[in-house]
Amino acid sequence: MRYRRALAAAALLAAASLTATACSSPGEAPSATGSGASTKPTGTLGFVNDKSWDFKAFSAVSQADVGIGLNPTTYADQNAFVAFVKQSFRTNKAPGLFTWHTGGQLEELVGQNLVAETTPLWDAAIAQGEVNPTVRDLYTINGKQYCTPISVDDWVMYYDKKMFAQYDIKPPTTWAEMMQAAATLKSHGIAPFWSSGGNPWAFVWFQILLAGTDLQLYKDLSTGKASYTDPRVVAVMNTWLDLEQKGYFSDPGSKTQPEEQMKSGKLAMIPFGTWYASTLETAGLKNGTDWGVFTIPAVNPAQGKTPVAIETAPACVAAKSDQKDLGLAYSAWWMTSQAQTAWSKQQGNLPFNPKAQASTETFQQVGTQLADTNKYETYLRYYEATPTPVLTTALDQFTGFMTNPGDPTKYLQGIQDEAQSYWAKH
Amino acid sequence: MAVTSHPSRPAAAPPATAPRDPRPVRRRPPTSYQGAAWAFMAPGTVLVVLALYLPVVYTVYLSFTDYTGLGSPNLVGFANYGEMFRDTAFLTAITNTLIWVVGSLVVPVGVGLLVAYLSFGLRLASWLRIPFLVPYALSGVAVGVVFSFVLQNDGALSQALAFLHLPGSETRWLQEAPLNTIVMILAASWQGIGVNALLFTVGLQSIPREPLEAARVDGASGWRLFRHMVWPLLRPSTTIVVGLSIVNSLKTFDIVQAMTQGGPNRVSETLGVSMYRDTFVNSEYGLGSAVALFLTVITLGASMLYLRRQLAVGEPKGARA
Repeated sequence: MRYRRALAAAALLAAASLTATACSSPGEAPSATGSGASTKPTGTLGFVNDKSWDFKAFSAVSQADVGIGLNPTTYADQNAFVAFVKQSFRTNKAPGLFTWHTGGQLEELVGQNLVAETTPLWDAAIAQGEVNPTVRDLYTINGKQYCTPISVDDWVMYYDKKMFAQYDIKPPTTWAEMMQAAATLKSHGIAPFWSSGGNPWAFVWFQILLAGTDLQLYKDLSTGKASYTDPRVVAVMNTWLDLEQKGYFSDPGSKTQPEEQMKSGKLAMIPFGTWYASTLETAGLKNGTDWGVFTIPAVNPAQGKTPVAIETAPACVAAKSDQKDLGLAYSAWWMTSQAQTAWSKQQGNLPFNPKAQASTETFQQVGTQLADTNKYETYLRYYEATPTPVLTTALDQFTGFMTNPGDPTKYLQGIQDEAQSYWAKH
Repeated sequence: MAVTSHPSRPAAAPPATAPRDPRPVRRRPPTSYQGAAWAFMAPGTVLVVLALYLPVVYTVYLSFTDYTGLGSPNLVGFANYGEMFRDTAFLTAITNTLIWVVGSLVVPVGVGLLVAYLSFGLRLASWLRIPFLVPYALSGVAVGVVFSFVLQNDGALSQALAFLHLPGSETRWLQEAPLNTIVMILAASWQGIGVNALLFTVGLQSIPREPLEAARVDGASGWRLFRHMVWPLLRPSTTIVVGLSIVNSLKTFDIVQAMTQGGPNRVSETLGVSMYRDTFVNSEYGLGSAVALFLTVITLGASMLYLRRQLAVGEPKGARA
């Protein structure tokens, strides 16, 4: 009898083991995978992302155009998303396409040979005039390209058109005009500029003020060639402090979204990337009547060109993914003018493809304006330009500075300590 | 499970006159069930080892490496532990965690006891306790999100104070340390009082009536009755409630993450939040693992010290070798 029981127990164990094995085995085979570089692959592409954008709607466009649909998996939590993607490289679940960040975070993946190279895609796109060659720099590591852009967004200032009209303020073209506008708005009890502490937006005004004052210093700081305690950086922080003390910023501790603050008439201007247009529209604020945009003027006009921050949302293909060919085919398509026109129409933003059509007149004008490379110079947003450990510390320190405005030295020293430790190892 | 023959059922005694069976009787040794028992326990044991023990061992290993989530971990000795103790924010996190431990004992446990004692024996007492118990159904994150809107600058509390012309409407509840930690403890207390009151109520119900009546006959009442009779007799419940409170407050994470993310500038961070930040925000898995181990050792140490002391007090003299 005991043998029978032992047998039953063994069977139970075997069943449990099989169940566990089933759980860890590869899931369903993809409905279609790449069928080789020689033929155009079609099928459904797994797309892991951290964006709240409507990729299912966009999937219909690509399905009709090139026969590839998207099966998006969206992570609402950025940290959970990063942890998942990193862990997925160790399994056979490496995604065929996933969103990521340029700068140090992309270098980290490339350093481990985890991302598929996209140099041929870039060569072809640039040869056909589908993408500005300056964008390629953001995707270049050791002379090769990795990932492709979903969008490239310029940072502009969104403003409340009705409020500006009410107080007879014209969109400023110089820093002095912008400060004058801020003084007028403040005198009417309105917070001129949006400001927010914490992760991720605590860097915004440091970026605007530093790059607007000395773009080379900004770049040197990002690459560890300059110190955060440099007197020039301290001077920039004191400019920030001056604006704080004049009451030009909204409450950095507020949990009310900036578009809601603008909608309720408490806030006049919000500095953000061109992707923010769709958020304003979702909040019920209409382009052209409720809000407009202007390029953020340089603090120091002697720099010559006005610096414009850019950020880009890359789509990357895992080097060892089963869907690598399908992912690369989709990446190539997403850069085309058809795809970018459709994407701009869906998102209401500015397409990076010069041949693509911006969906709104506002962004058509901005696009034309920023295309003048004699007047504007783009630079990578602080969030991507700064190595992650330094960035995390900087966001904390900037938040401390915003919460208790005063002598910036201790906050800058805090960032410099982390930067020094990081650059000593890299 | 169909039982056709029970292995432990004794065989019917043979009649005294029956001829003796010449075959030797195989007597089952007392440990003969061990094999079968282990076979049945194996799936559970395997699961526990895989899901609980191996991750602990792996975390210990990671704490001695420079793992970033990519590539292979490299051993770095005690570097993570050195870095951890040199970080002033980590020392702030220890202080904040201790404030959480003390605060969670004073407010949710203290008020829970008060609610239980004052309502005990009253008519409709269970109805009185229900409002305290309802928030326990919420998750810590939900409580954090709700209270962050109440306590943010110009939030519901500030607006209410301004409306009533009371002082404090300009107070930055979540931005000044240690005020932000204190208000978060109060928010957590809003949720925790009810369940503590419930546990104390069960404890009060289990106290025998005779000694209390004897004490009343002897003239004890009010505070003296509570101090010298109820409180000692309530010790089993107090041990459990205080023990749980210490463990839960040491690993405080969800409500802080939801309300301040440990900020501004890490001033409200607890050890749980430090662990999360190092591991998942900065991708410094080695450092995060070191913090996790430190937290585990502290929690286990505190629990063992407290419980050993409490349980030893409850045991009769000479019961332990």
